[in-house]
Formats: sequence, structure tokens, C-alpha cells
Amino acid sequence: MIRILTFALALLCLPVALFAQDLQSLLQTHQKVVAKPSRKSVGPVLDALVNSGLPQVPGFLEQWQGKALYVRKEDGVFFYTSKGSEGLTLIDISSGETSATVDAKTMKQVKPNGGVRKAIGAALVQFQLSDPNIERRRKAVESISQKLDASQIAPLKASVAGEKDAALKLRKERLTGYLTARFGTDSAARVAAIEALNNDLSVQGRAVLSQILEAELVAAETVPDANLAEVVTPGSSALSREAAYEILVTKHGFPPRVSDNDIRLALEANVEGGKAGGVPVVQLDDLQKRELAYDTLAARGLVQTRVSDADLDRAFGEWGFYQTYLEDDTAVTAAAREVQKTIQTKVSLNQAADLGLDAISLASIYFLAAVGLAITFGVMGVINMAHGEFIMLGAYTGYVVQQFITNYTLSLVVALPLAFAVTFAAGVAMERLVIRWLYNRPLETLLATFGISVALQQLAKNIFGTQARPLTSPGWLDGAWIINDVVQISYIRIAIFVLALLFLGLLLFILNKTRLGLEVRAVTQNPRMAASMGINPDKIKMMTFGLGSGIAGIAGVAIGLFAKVTSEIGSDYIVQSFMTVVVGGVGNVWGTLAGATMIGVFQKGVEWMNPSNTLAAQTYMILFIILFIQFRPKGIIALKGRAAGD
Amino acid sequence: MQKSFIAQNPSVLWFLACLGVFTLGVTILSEATGTGVISTSFVKTLGKVLCLCLVAIAMDVVWGYCGILSLGHFAFFGIGGYAVGMWLMYARTEAIVIENLASRTIPPTPVEVNEAIATQIFGVVGSSDFPLIWAFSHSLTLQMLLVVLVPGLLALVFGWLAFRARVTGVYLSILTQAMTLALALYLFQNDSGLRGNNGLSGLQNIPGFEAVPQSVISMGFFWASALALALGYVMFARVLSGKMGSVIRAIRDDEPRVRFLGYHVESYKLFIFTLTAVVAGIAGALYYPQAGIINPAEIVPIASIYLAVWVAIGGRGRLYGAVIGTAFVSLLSSWFTGGGAPAVDLGFYTIQWTEWWLVLLGTSFVAVTLFFPGGIGRVFDKFARKSS
Amino acid sequence: MAGSAIAADCSVKVGVLHSLSGTMAISETTLKDTMLMLVDQQNAKGGVLGCDLEAVVVDPASDWPLFAEKARELLTTHDVDVIFGNWTSVSRKSVLPVIEELNGLLFYPVQYEGEESSKNVFYTGAAPNQQAIPAVDYFLEELGVEKFALLGTDYVYPRTTNNILEQYLQDNGIAADDIFVNYTPFGHSDWATIVADVVALGEDGKSVGVISTINGDANIGFYKELAAAGISADEIPVVAFSVGEEELSGLDTANLEGHLAAWNYFQSAESDANAEFIDAWKSYAGADRVTNDPMEAHYIGFNMWVNAVEAAGSTDVDAVRNKMYGQEFQNLTGGTAVMLPNHHLAKPVLIGEIQADGQFDIISKTAEVPGDAWTDFLPSSAVLKSDWKDLGCGMYNTETNSCVQLKSNY
Repeated sequence: MIRILTFALALLCLPVALFAQDLQSLLQTHQKVVAKPSRKSVGPVLDALVNSGLPQVPGFLEQWQGKALYVRKEDGVFFYTSKGSEGLTLIDISSGETSATVDAKTMKQVKPNGGVRKAIGAALVQFQLSDPNIERRRKAVESISQKLDASQIAPLKASVAGEKDAALKLRKERLTGYLTARFGTDSAARVAAIEALNNDLSVQGRAVLSQILEAELVAAETVPDANLAEVVTPGSSALSREAAYEILVTKHGFPPRVSDNDIRLALEANVEGGKAGGVPVVQLDDLQKRELAYDTLAARGLVQTRVSDADLDRAFGEWGFYQTYLEDDTAVTAAAREVQKTIQTKVSLNQAADLGLDAISLASIYFLAAVGLAITFGVMGVINMAHGEFIMLGAYTGYVVQQFITNYTLSLVVALPLAFAVTFAAGVAMERLVIRWLYNRPLETLLATFGISVALQQLAKNIFGTQARPLTSPGWLDGAWIINDVVQISYIRIAIFVLALLFLGLLLFILNKTRLGLEVRAVTQNPRMAASMGINPDKIKMMTFGLGSGIAGIAGVAIGLFAKVTSEIGSDYIVQSFMTVVVGGVGNVWGTLAGATMIGVFQKGVEWMNPSNTLAAQTYMILFIILFIQFRPKGIIALKGRAAGD
Repeated sequence: MQKSFIAQNPSVLWFLACLGVFTLGVTILSEATGTGVISTSFVKTLGKVLCLCLVAIAMDVVWGYCGILSLGHFAFFGIGGYAVGMWLMYARTEAIVIENLASRTIPPTPVEVNEAIATQIFGVVGSSDFPLIWAFSHSLTLQMLLVVLVPGLLALVFGWLAFRARVTGVYLSILTQAMTLALALYLFQNDSGLRGNNGLSGLQNIPGFEAVPQSVISMGFFWASALALALGYVMFARVLSGKMGSVIRAIRDDEPRVRFLGYHVESYKLFIFTLTAVVAGIAGALYYPQAGIINPAEIVPIASIYLAVWVAIGGRGRLYGAVIGTAFVSLLSSWFTGGGAPAVDLGFYTIQWTEWWLVLLGTSFVAVTLFFPGGIGRVFDKFARKSS
Repeated sequence: MAGSAIAADCSVKVGVLHSLSGTMAISETTLKDTMLMLVDQQNAKGGVLGCDLEAVVVDPASDWPLFAEKARELLTTHDVDVIFGNWTSVSRKSVLPVIEELNGLLFYPVQYEGEESSKNVFYTGAAPNQQAIPAVDYFLEELGVEKFALLGTDYVYPRTTNNILEQYLQDNGIAADDIFVNYTPFGHSDWATIVADVVALGEDGKSVGVISTINGDANIGFYKELAAAGISADEIPVVAFSVGEEELSGLDTANLEGHLAAWNYFQSAESDANAEFIDAWKSYAGADRVTNDPMEAHYIGFNMWVNAVEAAGSTDVDAVRNKMYGQEFQNLTGGTAVMLPNHHLAKPVLIGEIQADGQFDIISKTAEVPGDAWTDFLPSSAVLKSDWKDLGCGMYNTETNSCVQLKSNY
């Protein structure tokens, strides 16, 4: 401790200049900025550090960036530290030697914010580009790509040749292309670099092009001598008359327009003897009278004259409006424009494909939520309002399993069959205890199962609380399948899609190819006849209901993985699920698929048309369904003949 | 005719008598007009229960008598509330705005008044323009007409489409539920022009009655609700007696057979569906000034299902059953959730009723459906049969 | 109505109006417990005016009309002297007419959208200029964000906040085309398209940032989808106004690490008062419980009320209100909170990065910012001012020098 104190004392006493080659003293000259860095102030410090040529600088920058730097409160000296049981052990930043252990309260951690960390990263680039450690090289490339800067061309180009990792080399070459396109000095090289972007759909590639094509809207009396992008007429969709005149007002000294509120304020300021502008005040509750009074005032030179539409027309007759490129080189802008056009078409096509994928994904979620209902409601005709709560049971089963099995993959393997078992049992119990007494009273089934739904939901709240519970997907389901820079879909959604397909296949197989399926169809079509053929209808109904409920449980795990587990997860999906089955056509698994697809596609379509309001999409979707059912009450795929029941 | 109607329906007289005694009792015990045993907030609660009873008998008519399990009647109830709420908000705000603008040197233009009102009403939801739906909100008469017309028209159009397409049974239930959901989702949007999730608030302040204390206003609404319930009860009892009532009950029991007998089933159903929707709208218009606030959460599908639950517990197919069920369950519900019910200590676990009430309600509801399909009203039936 | 209770019968009643059941229970139950703890602590210190405090707890069950009913019950049947309560804006709007009619006193502890000022309410949570505006400044200044996505749940707080922010951003030179606004329903889970839209915002080369007023559970799906799309906080930073310690506890924070939140308080704030408060809370409610911003708001509000009552020598609402103005109390982040005449507090604004352990790493802290009831960034409310002390008006038009209304706008 004493040693540090003496060191600190010595440091304070000696002139800073003597330690010009020492990192600590260099930092002390910028103490405030280093201890409390801000994006705007950190630049000079970084320059000073990099230019000092000290060997410890790259290491220091990394530590600083990683929030590993501490400052001692009493004297502002910087240290690295390591945490011990008795406090922080100080490590000298120049020598790397440990010095003493102090109370953590005497030290303050330096926390550079995101913007500063980026700036430090940019300063680190030149040290890291050719570092033997590939992680550092990746970081450097990442850093360059986050903020393209002309100064990075030379070091990046120099490091390309020596790069051993193929993927990283490709990335470096791509970045070099971007940098050349934007900041290159040779026109031909730039055009070549731009034309190389022809197949680049990435956001960054597009960004390079739009930055080259950045334009400015100017007003001028004659066509300006600049790299002209286009002539804009006021009153077109690109430029409203008001906006155009506003440019003239702010840039060219035209008189501003007088608003209704301005008129009111001017009149209020000029009331004399119960009159303003010659009009009695009591009559001024009329806009036309107010304008009249204002014009009188204007004629007397008391206020500014109103600018009329004719004045605007006159101004627009004399002045033209032009978009001019900030880039002067016409060859470059022409090439960029050409390439941008081709890319834009490709991007739109790919965006449509991406939206299509989203729609399919949404459809598979709806299908998964509704497929259990396709059996209990669609095939058996039982309205089960507690279906949503079976989904919830499945999701909570997944959550509980994860509390005991920490390996996410394994827990999923356990949770899926367990969720099936739990909800199968719940379904069978419900069928035995409640539903079988109400088979010929469908409306009462609806209400009784609603009672169960309310009770189950509240039970879940009592047990698990109202807060959402995490259901974490295994690592291999993280991330997304990236087809190109525009079209991508997360693995978890693909998994749900696959699961939905599996269920579709499984159900079709069970219903059409197995003895159980045959018996189910027989019992639902004519229970008495089926019974006389030796089928036990009670048992079949019980099994079918259990199957439908069990599938809901598995769907619950899937939906929980993709979103969240709450006690309301079921009620979020129940109305949509019923509508999916009804729209698709009751009594038919294909119908449910058709219903889910239609709803998913329709909803995404509305979202695409109105991207700022997702709620509206859901509203219109339901309205559409209501109308659809009115005109096609039996759904998309209606059963015909005897199977239709009535 | 009148005599025979009463003779046929002795329950109407009994009901009116009970309601009259109840109203008188509350009046005597209330703060404003009596001894003050019953607090103003409880008078409001009782007044609201009467409105719920009114919408419940409408539900009973459409479900218990006509066999249409509508899960959308609370939507009509909510529309009624919104319609009256718009006038209440507009008129209250207009008074404030005009008073404020009067302090300006020059009188305001109508446009300025309108803008100021819009800013006051929609400022809290980040907007300052009047949406088209508010076109009639300045007029009490027009807005009162909307209380009746909007639910009526919506029911008429929806019912016409659905009944014409022969959507029946559970399909119709799901469809009505979808309608409620669509309406609730629409109202949840700020762009709907009805202040989104916030809804319309401060409805207990009646414009023109600022000086009247809430204890008096609440009594006024209580009486109005009792009167509306009485009128509604008598009206439905009349509709359901005679030949018309028989046809309606017959539709419930066997729709195709009635159709084969030559009756135009769709018209009867449409008439009942629309009439009950209108009554629901009126009930809502009386309910929300007492509640003080209406927002989309009031008309989510589950509210309409609860309505069916009340009717079922009270005993459907009997008008007084709906009233009994509603009063019983909603008052019990507020007692349990209000923390009034004592906690039950099981030794290993203490049952807090605020948490367990819904579980109890849900299971008892299943039990009623399974074991007492007649509900509470059945008890009265037996009593009535014995005495006659 | 809420009569004074001086030594004679010696009971000072504190009403607690927080939902203990329904959807809001998860957030509000914590605040009820906080209030009970604060009342216990005050009683251990000898109560107020020599009387013990008595907490009256009711449950409005996340049902907005029920809030009005319960507030009336508290003020008339229970005769409480002050109410601490509410979370959602709609519940506050439901209670306002009742509190004003009966001249009650309400302390509201949650960050809200502003554009309101009631004589009977003290707003101890943040107004937009104490949370949203500084966060946007941080984005503009420190992160250099040039293009903004304002994502919110469709209800009044995000709507109003985003309106203010849109105007504020345009005033700061961000073009209207560079602001993307989207609203989603409560509990929304299908985020793929919206995340793709946000990523595509970067196609003109500007750096993109997300201002999130997404509420509650919906955040989970949103952050999951962001992570799945491979977007880190470095590329597209997200600052949230509704995600705090309580929301993060028990969640898998792996997807959220590095993203930001703006509040007036974080549990990780370093001060002796905070350490003491956290210890008291953990021993009262359980070792695994966390503290959050609305809890600090109640802590400050309750202590200010106690001091104001002592200063007034009575619990009479009007007397207490007059003593509230200028009340100072040590906040938990190491500064001093002052109650302003517009019924808002002056509080510092903190920005924290979400860490793996569900706590926040505080990377920015401003000086105390005075809360502003009427935002300066919307033309219609820029002319309005709230000053209950000298002007006696919560909605004073400075252009015409007149009081628009004495009641609040609900």
C-alpha cells in the first residue's frame, strides 16, 4: 500500500513530460476523457495513444474496450484488476505486475459506452488486421464494416494478401470493394468496384450504393451546374407544394405563409376600440371576416401580406427544384444507378419470397395450434374450449422438464413425449368425467369446457405465477437459415414447420390407414351402427379425444419454444384455432391445413400492405373469416355425401 | 289481452313486485335519499348489477328461448356504452373548452372550438383530429339514437348473413365470438378513433350536472336501471307469450320442423337477435356512466361467455332465472375478489379467495352444467308448481 | 373527505391500490409489498405525528372500472389519508375523476406518457423528458444513430411517447423518412417480419437504432427473433423503456445482453442508501427478489409524504399538498429528489446495458432532470404549463395566460 502511495505521490510531483514514453502518464494527461469517455471526445485520446507507438497500447485498448479498466478514486490512476476474495488486486497497466489488493469501494470501473467501444474498435483495427489470432482479425473486419471509412482502405488492402482463412479473405475482399466503390480516387476503379456489386443483395452493399447516390434537393432559378439526378416539380408525390415553398422560404428569403393561427395572433395584437382591422371583434368568429380584417391590417403595413396560391405559382414559375448528387463523378453515379436498379428488382423479389416464408411459418403455427382441434372438433364434433389450456399444459410441461434437465436438447427429447402423455391423460380424464355426458348437447359442452378452461388457467396462475416463464430452445435451433442476404428464416420456425408436416402425415396415416382411424370414422359417422359391428364407441371416443389433446400438448411445447410460456398462451390461440378449423372445413385434416394456410397468408398480406400496424392485420383477418364463412359455411374443403353428417 | 297476459305470466307480477321492493329498500338505505347505510360505491355496484341483469335476460331470450348461443352480446352492450360515452366526453370537454376560449381577445371560430375539443379528448392518445365516428357526438339525441341503431344494425346485418347461410349451433357461437374479438381488436387500435386501449373515461361526470354530488347521480342511474330492467322484462315476457313465443321456442327445439311447417324461421331468429342486441345496447348505455370508464377490455370474448355462464347458472329458459343468476354470480364474484371472503386455512396451504375464486367458479360451472341443467331457477319452478 | 386524523383517534391510514390478481398482478404485487415494508419501517421509527400508520390494501384485480370503485371505497368507507397505487395509464385515468371529486391524494409511481396534471396526484415516476428524451439523446450523441425504429405495443404510453419522440427527432435533424414506427398488440409473438423490416432500414447506409416501448411478454419474442436473425446490440442497439429488473428476473437473458434500458433507478446503482434499501427488501420479501424503478418511486414518494405530514402537522390533503412542494429526499442513486410545483420529481436519468445476470450495467447517468408534465416538443402542449403552487393550475396556457381547466383531462 505504501509503495502505491509513494508511486502516486511521485507521479503527482514529477512533471508529466518526463514520462512521455509511459502509458500511465499519457493517460493521465487525458485522465477525464479516459475515465468517462464519450464518443465525441474520445477521438483525440485514441489518436494520441495510437501515435505514441507504445507497445502496450493495443493491449490497453482491448482492456479498455472490454470494461476491464479501473480508476482509483483518490488519485485517478488507472489499473487493470483481478477479483479476489478480499477485494480487487491491482495490476499495473504498463508493466503488468500485480501490486496490491484493495477494497473494491476505492476503485471505479471505467465503462465505455457502445459508441466509444466502436471507436476503440476502429482504432484497434490497424493492430488487429494481421494478428495471428483469427478472432482478433474477425473483430477488426467487423469493426471496419460497421463504419466504412476512407482511411481503412490502405491497411485493409495490405492485409488481404496475407490472410490465410478463406472465408475471412473473401470478406476482406468484399469490404475492399465497398471501400473502393465509395472512397476510391480512380474513377475507372470505382466504376469497376460498383459493377462488381451487381449480385450483392446484402444490406451493406445496398448501403454503399445509396450512399454514393446520396442527393440533395435544391431550388435554383437556372439549372445548377452539378451532377444532376432529376428535376422535381412542386405538387408531385415527391415534393408537395408546401414543402417546395418551405425551401424557398428557408433558403432564399421568400416571405413565409401566414397560417390561420398567425392571423388570430396578429388580430389579437391589433385590437383597437373593439375593432381589429376595421371589423368589430364580436364578428371575428368567422375565418373569412378574419382574413378580411387581416388584409386590412396588411394594407396598412402593420403585418406581413398573406402569401396566396397565385404567389406560389409565380414563385414556382421562376424557380426550379433539382435533386443533385453529392458525388461529382457522373460515370460513378451512372454506374451506381444502373446497378441499384438491377439490385432493387432482385431485392423486391427476394422480399416477396421472405414474406412468403413468414406466411408459411405463421400458417404452420396456426396449423399446429389447431391440429388437435381438427380431431376433437373436426372429426368428433366436440367443442373443447379448454383446448387452449391443453396447449398451455404442454408448454408448462416443457418448462418444468427444463428445471430438472439442464441439457436443452435432452430436455426437449423428454418434454415432447411427456407433454403428450400429460395432455393425453388430461384429455381422457375430461372426456370421461364431463364430455361423455354431454355428447348430444354441443352447446353445453362448449360452456362446460369453458368452465374447465377458466379453472385451469387460474390454477396455472396460482402455481406458476402470471409472469412469463422461459422455455429455452437448444443451441442448434438458435440462429437462422440464411438463403441470401434478404431471405432468411429462423431454425425454430423451420422446426415448427417440420413438426406441423409430421403431424399432418401422422394424422392422415392414423385416420386413413389404421384400424383406429377406421373405427374413429365409423363411430363419428354412425355410433350405433359402429357399435353393432363390434366397435366399442366409448373407448374409441376416449382414445380419439386423448389423441387430439395430446397433440395440443406437443404443440404447446413448440409454441412455448418459439414465443413464451404464460397462462394466457392458450387463450391467445383458441379463437383463431377454432376459426382455422371452421374455415378449412370440419371433419378433414386437409381442411385445417387449407384454413391455416389461408389465414397465415392473408394476415401477412395485410401486414405487408400496412406494416406499421400489426393489430389491424389481425382485425381484418377475423372480419375476412366472418364474411368467408357466411358465403361458404362449410369451409374451404367441405365434406360431401353421407360423411357430411347432415 | 292485458289481463290474460298477466294471468298467463304470474311471474311478471312477482318479479316487478320484488324489483320494486328492492329499489325502495336501496332508496331508503342510500346516502343521498335515506339513512346512508349503503355507501355510494355500493349503490353504483347495485345499479350496474341491474344493467347486467337486463343484458342477461336479453341473452336468455336469444339463447334460452330461441336456442341461439350468441357469444357476442357483450359487444352490443359495449357499443351502447361507447355511444353514450362519446356524448358524455364531448359535452363535458366542450363546456371546458368554450369557457377557456372565451378568455381570448377575439371570439373563436367554430373550427378552432372543434380543434380545441379534439386536442383535449385525443391529446392523451397522441392525436388532435376528430375521427369520422364522432360526427354526431355533439348531440345527445343523435347519440342516443346510435345507442339503439348501431347494435341493432350490426345485429341485423350479421344475423341476416349468418341465418341466411344457415350457420347454426356451435358454428354460430364461434362466429359471434369472432365478431366480438374483431370488434375488441379494432377498438384496441388507436387508429379506431375511440382512444384505443384507454377508452372513454370520466363518464360518471354528467355534463350539466356538475354541481350535483355523485351520491345523487348514482341514485338517479340506479332508478333508471331498475326502470329499464322492469320495462325490458315486461317487453320480453310479452314477446315470448302467445303464438310468437311458441314459434320461437319451437325453433329452439326443432328448427327444421318449424321450417317445414311453413314458418320463415330466419325472420323470427333475426327479429329476436336484433331485438336482444338493441336491449343489450341500452343496458350498456346505462351501465358505463355508472362504471365511469369504458375500454376495449370490457368486450373481449370472455365477457360474453361469462354472460352465458350467468344465464346458465340462473337457469335458462326462465327470464327470472337470468336475473337471479346474474345478480348471484356477479355479487358473489365481487365479494370473493374484493377480499371479502375469509381465507381458508387447510393447514398445509391457505386458500386465498382472490386467487382461487376463478377455479371455484369454473368447476362449479361444470357441475351446474352436468348436474343441475335447470340452474337456480329450477328451485323457484318447483316452489311455484307446489303452490299452484 | 379524506379527513385529518390528529392525535385524537390517532390512526393514519395509507391506502394501497395495486392489483393483486389479474394480468397486472405480477408487477403491482411487488409495489404493494414495497408499501407494506415502508409502512412497517416508518412505524418502527415511531410512525407519523406520533401515530402508527395503518395500511389499507384493496385489490382492483387489473379491472380498470374496478379501480374507480375501489378508490371511492378507500376514500369514503375507509377514510384513508393518502393512496399509493396504480400502474397502467388507463387505470390512472379511471381513478382520476374519483380522486378529484373527493379531494384525495394519490402517489403514482410508474413512468408514464405525461400530458396530464392533476391537483390530487403526485407523479413520482418518470415523465417522457426524464426517460425517453435522454435515451434518444444518448442514441444521437453517443451511438451516432441516424435512423430510428420506434416499436411499441399499441396503447397510450407508446403512442404518446412515440409522437413526442418523432417530433423531437425531426427537430434534431432526423428526416421523417428515417423514422419507422410500428405498433403491435399486447403479447405479440410473430416478430419475424418486423425484425426483417428493421434490418432493411440499414440499406441506405445509416446506422439504425430501435426505441422500444414494447410491453411485457411481447419483449421475449422480439429479442429472440433479433438474436435468431444474428443481430447484436453493436449492430442495432435497442433501448427499452418497459424492461426492468423485475421483467428480466427469471428470464433467459442470453438474447438480451448488451441491449439497453433507460430508467431513473437500477438495482446496480452504487450508494449506501441503495445498499440499505436492497438489504431491507431482500430480508422482507425474499433473497431472490430484485428492486426496480417504480419501487424507488414509491420509496421517495412515501418518505416525502411522511415529511410533508410532519411539516404540516396534519394529514389534511390541502395542507399536506402545500408542504409537498420543494420537499427534498435522498434518492437511491446518490442524489437528491425534489418535488416540483408541477407534481413531478427532479430525478437523474440512467442508461444501463443488460448483463447476463439480469442486472444492468450503468453506462450513463445525467444530472437531475426536472419532470415536465406537458412536453415541449408537441405544439399543442408546448404552450401549456403546470404549476399548482403559484398559478394553482395544472393546465395553464402561457400564450393566453389563462387556466384551461382545473380538473385533469381524463
